[in-house]
Amino acid sequence: MSKQINVALIGNPNTGKTSVFNQLTGLKQKVGNYPGITVEKKEGICKLPRGLKAHILDLPGTYSLNTTSLDESVAVELLLNKNDKDHPDVAVVISDVENLKRNLLLFTQIKDLNIPTILVINMSDRMSRKGITIDIPLLEEKLNTKIALMSTRKGLGLDRLKELIAEYGTIKAEKSLDISVIEPEYFQKLKKTFPKEDLYKLWLVITQDVNFMPVEKKRINEDASFSIKTKSELKRLQQKETILRYQYINGVLKETYKVDTAAAKGFRASLDRILTHKVFGYLIFFMILLLIFQAIYSWSELPMDFIDELFASASEWIKNTLPPGMLTDLLAEGILAGIGGVVIFIPQIAFLFFFISLLEESGYMSRVVFLMDRVMKPFGLSGKSVVPLISGTACAIPAIMATRTIESWKERLITILVTPFTTCSARLPIYLIIIALIIPEGTFLGLGYKPLTLMLLYLIGFGAAILSAMVLNKILQIRSRQFFVIEMPNYKLPLGKNVAYTVWEKTKSFVLGAGKIILAISIVLWFLGSNGFSEDFHKADEIVAERIETQGLTRYNQENLATTLANYKSSLNDSVSAGIYNISEKAITDSVRVKEELLFQNALHQEIASHKLENSYIGLMGKAIEPVVRPLGYDWKIGIAVLTSFAAREVFVGTLATIYSVGSDEEETIKNRMAAEINPATGKPLFNLASGISLLLFYAFAMQCMSTLAIVKRETNTWKWPALQLVFMSAFAYIIALVAYQFLK
Amino acid sequence: MFQTIITYFIVLMAVGYLVKKFFLPRSLFSANKGSKKACGQDDCGCS
Repeated sequence: MSKQINVALIGNPNTGKTSVFNQLTGLKQKVGNYPGITVEKKEGICKLPRGLKAHILDLPGTYSLNTTSLDESVAVELLLNKNDKDHPDVAVVISDVENLKRNLLLFTQIKDLNIPTILVINMSDRMSRKGITIDIPLLEEKLNTKIALMSTRKGLGLDRLKELIAEYGTIKAEKSLDISVIEPEYFQKLKKTFPKEDLYKLWLVITQDVNFMPVEKKRINEDASFSIKTKSELKRLQQKETILRYQYINGVLKETYKVDTAAAKGFRASLDRILTHKVFGYLIFFMILLLIFQAIYSWSELPMDFIDELFASASEWIKNTLPPGMLTDLLAEGILAGIGGVVIFIPQIAFLFFFISLLEESGYMSRVVFLMDRVMKPFGLSGKSVVPLISGTACAIPAIMATRTIESWKERLITILVTPFTTCSARLPIYLIIIALIIPEGTFLGLGYKPLTLMLLYLIGFGAAILSAMVLNKILQIRSRQFFVIEMPNYKLPLGKNVAYTVWEKTKSFVLGAGKIILAISIVLWFLGSNGFSEDFHKADEIVAERIETQGLTRYNQENLATTLANYKSSLNDSVSAGIYNISEKAITDSVRVKEELLFQNALHQEIASHKLENSYIGLMGKAIEPVVRPLGYDWKIGIAVLTSFAAREVFVGTLATIYSVGSDEEETIKNRMAAEINPATGKPLFNLASGISLLLFYAFAMQCMSTLAIVKRETNTWKWPALQLVFMSAFAYIIALVAYQFLK
Repeated sequence: MFQTIITYFIVLMAVGYLVKKFFLPRSLFSANKGSKKACGQDDCGCS
């Protein structure tokens, strides 16, 4: 059996670690042109030359081993703990050719842990453009290591890296520096107290903010023969260590690394000046947002209509083809209606992620983060909170995990608590369908009302997040202010492969992740809507027929029937007058009578189906919660959709599609079904401006996602915070929706 | 009759899936129960 080598990939943020990991393992972890993509270690297997195998770990990016945040401590913990099953046989430090000096600080620290260390100089394709030349053999000699010059973008250098990993035994595990020179007396005492321990490892354990090895640290603190330094003294020594390392690195690079500074400036600097400008920067960002939302609407209209029609036809085909029965009804009214409620939004979701991916890949997202840092400061948050808030536009779960890069616990907690306000992709289907129903067509300065409303909802979500942060900041009284440092990556032409992969992965996870839940809920809802225990349900045909005989059809159906019949009669008369038809007056009267009978039968069937649904299990449940949602302008069906979408917001549209299709003979599109819903109290469409705005605002603020609650519990290690989040967001959403409906109705 | 049996089976499967997803603890279905997680001294919220 071939030996498996443990390899740790480590490096500064945004040096392309995940790209190297993906190329080595053939896996497809998310990559992006902005820092903080990896916040947990990821693993994979790589086949090496001569039948060897490597177990590759992709560690979160860190600038040095002097960690300050939870994600960085993952890397340090693994490198120090020899008992960890994943402790590396060889460390591969990924560096960026343009920032080699800064990247080598981490390299020298890892080498000082006596771990064989390979240096990867990534992004080598930029060397000629940036006027960089490196004497690789001399650099290898000076650093006492092996170097692989790579370009993950161009697919260069991978074989060389695999070869070096396979031959890691030939790399000397020697220290770069003797750090005891920064304060000889202190380190002598340390060595005397723990003669068997490695000095640099001890030093790291003493100085870490994150207590990853409580036993070792406790042992050092409790040893009476060793005097403990204060935190500020330790910080001063750390600074001296950093200066010592940079002196060493400067000496090495002076002889091996040359840059033509004239070529290094130019396009990037000018572009940065405009894109991060305190006025133009925001204007450009705002314009880009407008264009994105306009494009999402314009480009996806056609495919969306196509999918909607496709599902309506499929449902009709099933009903006409399969033998009548419970399973046929379940397929046509439950499963297809529910799935259609998710699949219809694929075009918009795909376009949204296409644009987000372009912004990330091009390097513009880091500029947005920098811009937002200025906006966030008055609200008590640093730019580090912006990364989770922006990632929250996709999904709150990875966004909440991304808060691990925030050093201050209180600032991290606030970011965790407010991130769910950001408009995630699950809200998009609700926004799109309600906007389509209530916002009229038309444009303002060339931009449609609908895209503008959608953008406004995104801004409302972001505004709610930062205002809540301000309130929480006052309540929790944050004293510590963090300085925000962000890597400004180079501008890159987005790689089609990466963009396509992101769009595919995100869309797939939206459809499959939410799809399974929606499918299951649709099935259960269909069952609850098609069955009941009361006499009202089982004798619905007789009850409705008797009521119609005594009282006639409902007011809406009577009016609808009269209007349709009048239109039909007028259309027939017009056709006769124009000479299109040549039929007698009696034939017209007969035709109108047949049409009237047909319309009456349809109305009768609809009233029976409606009576059955109201007295089904789901109807009784809906009626029970109706008093709570009625003040918001919703009926019991919307109430049920709000309740089921507590599990996941996406379920809302699928639930309504299922409820509206139960017992319905006409296989209509989801949008048409919703548009045809009538409020029995007013006789007007149920989805009007007042109830629509109320719903949009409810979903903008409500915490309707169980997975997010679970991840908040995991990240805070208590149910206290997710419970608070749930109560506050739900109450806030209810009040805002109530005020909006009462004001607009 | 056949359609009814299949339908009830599908409905039961759907209910089972939702109960498993939202009401039963995830640890019941996870093979990797003891994952070791870095824990901050006073700054990670674990206290």
